[in-house]
Amino acid sequence: MSDQSNKTTYWKSLNELAQNKEYEKYVEREFPENATEMTDQVSRRSFLRVMGASIALAGFASCRKPVQKILPFSKMPEDLVLGEPLFYATSMPFRGAVTGLLVENIEGRPRKVEGNKEHPSSNGGTNIYHQGSILNLYDPDRSRSPLKDGEKSTIGDFVLFAEEHFADREQPILFIDEENSSLTYQRLKEQILEQFPNAEWVTFEPFNDNNAVEGTQIAFGQRLRTVNHYDRANIVVSLDDDFMSPQHNINSVEDSYKIAQTRKVSGGEGEMSRIYAVENTFTSTGSFADHRLRVKTSQIPSFIYALAARLSEEVTGLEAFQGISNDFSQTEWMDILVDDLLNNDGNSIITVGSQYSPAIHAAVAAMNVALGNVDSTVTYHELPFRADRDENEAFQNAISDLKSGSYSTAVLVGTDLAYTAPSDLGITEALENVETKIHLSDYVTKTSRLCNWHVNRAHYLESWGDGLSFTGQRSIIQPQIQPLFGGISEIELLDAILNGEGPRGYDLVRETWQDSISGDFEDGWEQVLHDGIDSESGFDSISVSLTDNLSETISEDQSGSEIEGMEIVIKPDNKLFDGRYANNGWLQELPESMTKVTWDNVALMSPETARNLGIDPDNNFIEDEAPVVRISANGTTIEIAAWVQPGHADDSITLTVGYGQEDLGRVANGVGVNTYPLRNSANMFYQAAEVEATGSLYEIACVQDHQSLEGRDMIRTASLEEYKENPDFAAFSNMHGYDLPGLEEAVEEDGPNPKGPISLFDENYGPDYEPQWGMAIDLNSCFGCGVCTIACQAENNIPVVGKREVARRRVMHWIRNDRYFAGDEENPEAYHQPVPCMHCEMAPCEQVCPVAATTHSDDGMNQMTYNRCIGTRYCANNCPYKVRRFNFFNYSQEYLTTGDDPEIIQMAMNPDVTVRFRGVMEKCTYCVQRVNKAKIEAKKETGSPRPKDGAVETACQQACPTNAISFGDLTDRDSKVSQQKMDSRNYTMLQELNVRPRTSYLAKLSNPRTELKPSNTETHSQH
Amino acid sequence: MSKTYEYVPEPALVKGNHDFKDVTAMITDINLRPTPKAWYVAFGIANMLLLLLLVSVAYLIWEGTGIWGLNAPVGWGWAIINFVWWVGIGHAGTLISAILFLFRQGWRTAINRFAEAMTIFAVMCAGLFPGIHVGRIWVIYWVFPIPNQMTMWPNFNSPLLWDVFAVSTYFTVSLLFWYVGLVPDLATIRDRTKSKISKFVYGTLALGWRGSNRHWWNYEKAYMILAGLATPLVLSVHTIVSFDFAVSLIPGWHSTIFPPYFVAGAIYSGFAMVLTLFLIARKIYGLEDIMTTDVMEKMNIVMMATGNMVAFAYLMEGFIAWYSGVEYEQAIFWLYVVGPYKWGFYILMFCNVITPQFLWFKKIRTNVAITFVISIIVNIGMWFERFMIAVVSLATDYLPSSWGYYSPTFWDAATYIGTFGLFFTMFLLFLRFLPMVAVAEIKGVMPQADPHNYDEDGEYIPPKVKVPEPYKNETNR
Repeated sequence: MSDQSNKTTYWKSLNELAQNKEYEKYVEREFPENATEMTDQVSRRSFLRVMGASIALAGFASCRKPVQKILPFSKMPEDLVLGEPLFYATSMPFRGAVTGLLVENIEGRPRKVEGNKEHPSSNGGTNIYHQGSILNLYDPDRSRSPLKDGEKSTIGDFVLFAEEHFADREQPILFIDEENSSLTYQRLKEQILEQFPNAEWVTFEPFNDNNAVEGTQIAFGQRLRTVNHYDRANIVVSLDDDFMSPQHNINSVEDSYKIAQTRKVSGGEGEMSRIYAVENTFTSTGSFADHRLRVKTSQIPSFIYALAARLSEEVTGLEAFQGISNDFSQTEWMDILVDDLLNNDGNSIITVGSQYSPAIHAAVAAMNVALGNVDSTVTYHELPFRADRDENEAFQNAISDLKSGSYSTAVLVGTDLAYTAPSDLGITEALENVETKIHLSDYVTKTSRLCNWHVNRAHYLESWGDGLSFTGQRSIIQPQIQPLFGGISEIELLDAILNGEGPRGYDLVRETWQDSISGDFEDGWEQVLHDGIDSESGFDSISVSLTDNLSETISEDQSGSEIEGMEIVIKPDNKLFDGRYANNGWLQELPESMTKVTWDNVALMSPETARNLGIDPDNNFIEDEAPVVRISANGTTIEIAAWVQPGHADDSITLTVGYGQEDLGRVANGVGVNTYPLRNSANMFYQAAEVEATGSLYEIACVQDHQSLEGRDMIRTASLEEYKENPDFAAFSNMHGYDLPGLEEAVEEDGPNPKGPISLFDENYGPDYEPQWGMAIDLNSCFGCGVCTIACQAENNIPVVGKREVARRRVMHWIRNDRYFAGDEENPEAYHQPVPCMHCEMAPCEQVCPVAATTHSDDGMNQMTYNRCIGTRYCANNCPYKVRRFNFFNYSQEYLTTGDDPEIIQMAMNPDVTVRFRGVMEKCTYCVQRVNKAKIEAKKETGSPRPKDGAVETACQQACPTNAISFGDLTDRDSKVSQQKMDSRNYTMLQELNVRPRTSYLAKLSNPRTELKPSNTETHSQH
Repeated sequence: MSKTYEYVPEPALVKGNHDFKDVTAMITDINLRPTPKAWYVAFGIANMLLLLLLVSVAYLIWEGTGIWGLNAPVGWGWAIINFVWWVGIGHAGTLISAILFLFRQGWRTAINRFAEAMTIFAVMCAGLFPGIHVGRIWVIYWVFPIPNQMTMWPNFNSPLLWDVFAVSTYFTVSLLFWYVGLVPDLATIRDRTKSKISKFVYGTLALGWRGSNRHWWNYEKAYMILAGLATPLVLSVHTIVSFDFAVSLIPGWHSTIFPPYFVAGAIYSGFAMVLTLFLIARKIYGLEDIMTTDVMEKMNIVMMATGNMVAFAYLMEGFIAWYSGVEYEQAIFWLYVVGPYKWGFYILMFCNVITPQFLWFKKIRTNVAITFVISIIVNIGMWFERFMIAVVSLATDYLPSSWGYYSPTFWDAATYIGTFGLFFTMFLLFLRFLPMVAVAEIKGVMPQADPHNYDEDGEYIPPKVKVPEPYKNETNR
C-alpha cells in the first residue's frame, strides 16, 4: 500500500498542506477494515492511486479558481481546421531503437499515437508501450521542475549551474545512461568524451541485448546486432525468446508483423511457417507456436547444446558441440526439430532469449551459420555507436570506481539505477561518494532523491530528437507540443553540460542532420519530417565467419548451469517493462497477455510446483485471493502472490520486475512487489531460491476467472493439414457433427427474403445507399498482446477504474482479450480471442432495453445512446458475449476531474467521444466517430456515404501489429473484410442463437508435425 | 338406502360460539384500545430498519449502484432477487381474496384482509427495487409512456416495460380491492370510536357507509367485479415478472416453463408469508377462534400443492435441459448442482422440495409450531430460488471467459433488511389502525349466520332456537 505519510517524499509539502480532516478522510478508510471489504464503497484510496485524486485538492479546493484563457488565432495556421485532427510523423525511442509513429494532433495537443505504415519497425502497427506513451505524457505525477538538493529550481538555474560546474574540463566525471540510438545524442556524447579527458561513459539497461552482442563477439569476433527476418523463414525455433512481446524484443512490432505474414492462408490453400518454442514461462510467442516444449530456464542451455550436438552430426561448422549428450538429446521432440531444421536449411531461424549467457548466443549463432541461415533469414549488422567492450562489465567496473571515490561528478541520464541496478553493486553507497550528482528523469525517482540535481526530462512527444530503428533507418522525433512541465530532453542535457546552453533541441538535431541529408537540406529535412523516416538509410549487413575460440567457450560454459531444485527467473514485465511504465494507469490495468492479471506482479509456477509447495493449483473461481509465497534468494526475502500458470516448467518460478515502487507516482506506488533485490550482478536472470507457502492470501485482480473453454466452440482450430483436407472445418456442422438446429426448418421459402430465416423482426438493415459495417478477426494472427485494448482505451476515453474495481470484475475495456487454456494441464494449448461488441443484427440487447437507449443504425451498427440510458443493465445481462460495460460509479469523474490539475489528464481525451457519466452502459462502437468522419468525407467527395475500403480503420485494427483485425463495408464484396468473411475459416461465435453478429472470427490454424501432435480438433474441448 | 354415507360436517369457521357483537368487539377493540407498549417496541424496531433502508437508498443514489456487489457478468443481484421475492409474496393476498372468493371458499374470510394488507406492503417493497436499481434514478420516469418533445416512446418490446405496467396495475387493483372491502369495517370503527379525530378520519374513509340495503348491494357488486378483475392479475403479474428472465436468451432463463413455475412459486411463498404473520398475529391478539388451525391446515395444503408444482418444475428444468440437447442449458443445470453456487442449490432443494413433503401429514399440517418453522423455511427457500435463477445463469453463461462470481456487499444486505423495516412499519400501522379481519365478512361465515334447519339426512328439523316471548321477556327485564 502506498505510504502517503512518508515524510521523506517529494509530496512532503503537499502532504503537509493536506494534513487536515478532509485529507484524513481520503486516507483513512471510512469503515473498519472488515466493513470496508463488505461495503466496497468507492474506495477513494484506490482512486487516489488511479490518476490522482487530490492530495492538494483537499487543501486548495476552496481557494483555487481556475484561470483559463482562450485566445483566437489572429492568423490561422495553414491546414488547421478546428475540430479536424492533423497527423504528424514522429518516432518513439524505446531502449536502443525507435519505432515510427503517426501522432493524431488535435488543436495542438497530441492525443493518440498510431503506427506509421511507412516505417519498417511499425508497418502501421504498434505495441502497448507506444499506445500507453500518450498517457505518460499527460501524467500529472511527472516531475515538473528541476530539484536542487530537493528544493524546487528552474531549468535556467540548472543551465547556469552546468555552465559553471562543467567549466572545469579536467574533472573525473562518470556518465551513466540508458541505451539511446539518437544520432544527435551520440554526436554530443563523442564531443563530451573528447572535451572531458577524464570522463567515463557507461550504459546500463536492466534488460539489454549485451549478452547477444557478446555472443557474436565469441562466435564471430565482432560485436554485432542480430536481425532475424521472420518473414523469410519456414522454421522458427524460439529458445525461450518471447520475440513477439515488447518487453523481450525492442523490435517486437516488426517481428510479429513479419511472422504473422508467414501464417496468412485462405481458401484451403497456402503454406505456413512452423514455430517451435522451448520455454520456461508460457509466453505469447509460446502460445503462437506450433510446438511448445516446457523446459526449466536453467536447463534450456542444455537443450541448446543438445540441439547443436544433434545438428553437428549432419552439418559442418558445429564441431565444437560434437559429443554433447544429455536428457534432451534423444527425445522424439528433438528428432523432429532436427529433421525440420535440416530439411529447411537456409530457411530457418534459431533465436534465443536475450538474457541467456553470451556463450549460448554464440552457440545459437553458430547453429544459424551451420544451417546456412546467415544472410538469408538472419543478418548481422554493425552498430555505429557501440563501444567495443563488454558493456555489463564496464558498468560494474564503473560502479566500483564510483564507490572508491574516483569520480567527483556523476551524470545519470534517465536511468533509475537505485531501483533497477543489481543489488550487490551498492548504488546508494556508491553515489554517496560522489560530490555532484545530476539525474535526468521523467519522474522524481529513487535515484533522483540521491542526487544533488534532479532535472525533469521532456517526453518524446515534447522534444526534438532523432534515432535509429532496429535495422538502422534514421528518423526524426518531432515534438507535438511544448513541454507541459518545462523539461529538457537528453540531448539538451548534454548540450547544457557541453556548452552551457539552454534548451535548443531543434538546433541540435538539425546540426546533426546536416551531414545525413544529401541534396538540399531543407527539402530533405522536411521530407524526413513528413515521412517519419529517411527511407534510404539502414544498417548494411556484414558477412561473418565463425572464429576458433567457440569450442573453448562452449566447453567452459557447458558445465553446471542447471539448477537441481527450485529456480527463480527474473524477467521484464509485460506491461511495465523495467518499471518505467509503472505510473501508467492504462498499462497497469491492462490484463497481462497470458495470466490476465492486472495491477500486480505474481510468481508464476506450474500446477505441479504449486502442489509441491502445498498450494491448490485449481483456479479459485469464488475468491479473488491468491496464496502468498515467500521467496528467498540473494540474501533477500520477498513475499509475493503465487499464480498457477498451466504450461509453466516445473520447479521454476517466473517473476517480473517493475512493481513495488514506493515513491514514483500515485498510480505506481505500492502496486505489486519489488523483485529487483533478488537480482545480483552474477545472477541477473535465473538462480536457485528457497520458496515456501506462507499460508496468507493476497487479493489479485484478474479479469478472467475461468480458463477453460468447457468444450465450447468459441475457439475453432485445426491443423494446416486438416484445413487443407476440409477447408470448412470451422462451420457449425463440422464442429458439432450436425446442422445448426432449427435453421433449416426456419427458412422461409416464399417470402421476400427466400434465403433468410423466418423472423418476427424487420430484416431490412438499412437503405441501399448506406454501407454495412462488419469486422473479422483472424485468430490465426492474434497472439494476445493486448495492444487493441490500449488503443481502444486511448481512442474512446475509457476510464481507468483501479484494482478494487477490476477485482470486482468491473473493468471497462471495450475490447477484451480472452485467453483459454485447452488440453493437458501440464502442457496445454493457449488461445487468444479479442472480443469487442459483436454488433449483432438481431441484437438481444436492443430488444430488452425498456427505454430504447440501444438501437440499430442504418449502417448496421448497434449503437448506444448514453443520454437515453437509464442503467437497468438488462442489455448487459442479455448479451451472450458479455461485452457491455457499466459505469457502476462515476469513473470518468474520478478519472478526469480530481487531482491537483485535472486539465492535464483531460488533454488526453478524445473530443469526438462522449465521456460517460455514472449509471450508463457503454460498449464498443466500432469507433463510430471514425466511421462517421469517413462517411462525411466520402459524401463530400463522391456524394455517397460509402468510404473507400481502408478509409476507416478502427483503433484496435489500426494498432494491431499482425493485422489480425479487418473492418469495412460488407456490401462491398471486394473489401478486405468481405474477403475475410468469405473465407472458409470464417465463423461467428454462438451462431445457434441467431443473433447474427457482424463481428466474426477466422479459425485458428496450426502447423504441427503430426508425429508430435496427433489431430487436435478435439483437444480444445478437454481440460 | 343401499349405501351409507358418513356426513363429515365442515368444521365451523369461527370457533368459540361467539355472537356477532363479540366478534365485532374482538376485532375492532384491537384498534380502539390504547396502544400496547409492545406495539411501540415493535414499531420502533421496524422504524430503525426503515431508517436503514432510507440510508441505504440515499447512499445508493449518492454513490451509484457500484456500492452493491454487481459486476460485469452479473448485472442483476439482490435488488432484482428481492423484487421478485417480494412480488411473489404479494401474490397470496389477492389470490386469497379474489380467487378464493370466486370459488366461494368461506375460510378465506379469516385471513383475506390480513393477506391483502400484506400483499400491498409486499408490492410496495417490491416496487422499490426496480426503481432504485437503475443507474440513473433521476430519469426513471422515461420508462413510462409520457408524451414528450423528443417523440421518444419506451421500447414496448422490453419485458422490463411490461413489468412496469404489470406491477403498477396489480398494485392499483389490489389497493382498490382492499379498500372496498374495508369500507363497511371502517364504518364500524367510526361508529364505535370515541375520539373525535378518529371519528372524522374513519368517517371520511368510510365514505358515508350506513349499512343500508342499497349500500350492501353496491358493495357486493363492486367487490365481485374487483375480484373478477384481480383474478387474472394474480396470474399475469408473476408471469410477466418471469418474462424478465424467460424472454432473454441466457441459458437457464430462456425457458417456457417460467410463467407457470413462477406463479406457483409466488403462491407458495405468499402463503408461507401469510402463515408466518398469521400465526404471530393470532397468538398476540388472541384471535385463535377466528384465525383457526383449520384455516392454517387449509393454507398448508395450498402450500404443499404449490410447493410440489415448484419441485416438479425443477425436475422439468433438468429434464428439458437434457432432452433439448442444448449444451448451454445442460451446462447451466449442471452448474446449479455442482457449480460454484451449489450451496445455494442444496439450500433450495431442502427448503422447496423436501420441506413441503412434511405437509403430507395431517399432524404436521395442524401443528402450529411446525407450520411456523416450515413457513419460514419456505420463504428462505423461495429467496434462494430467485437467487439461483438470477445469479447462476448470469455468472456462468455462454462464454467461459466472462464467467465471474457474484457476492453481495454490506449495502445489498442492508437494503434487503431495510425493506423489512418498510414492510413491518406499514404492517404494524395496519394492525394498529385497521381491523385485521374483515368483520362484516366473517360474520357471514359464522355458524350463527347460517340458521341450519336440516339434519344429516336432509330432514327438516325445526330450529332449536327458543322462540322469544317478547312481552314476557320485556317485562322480566
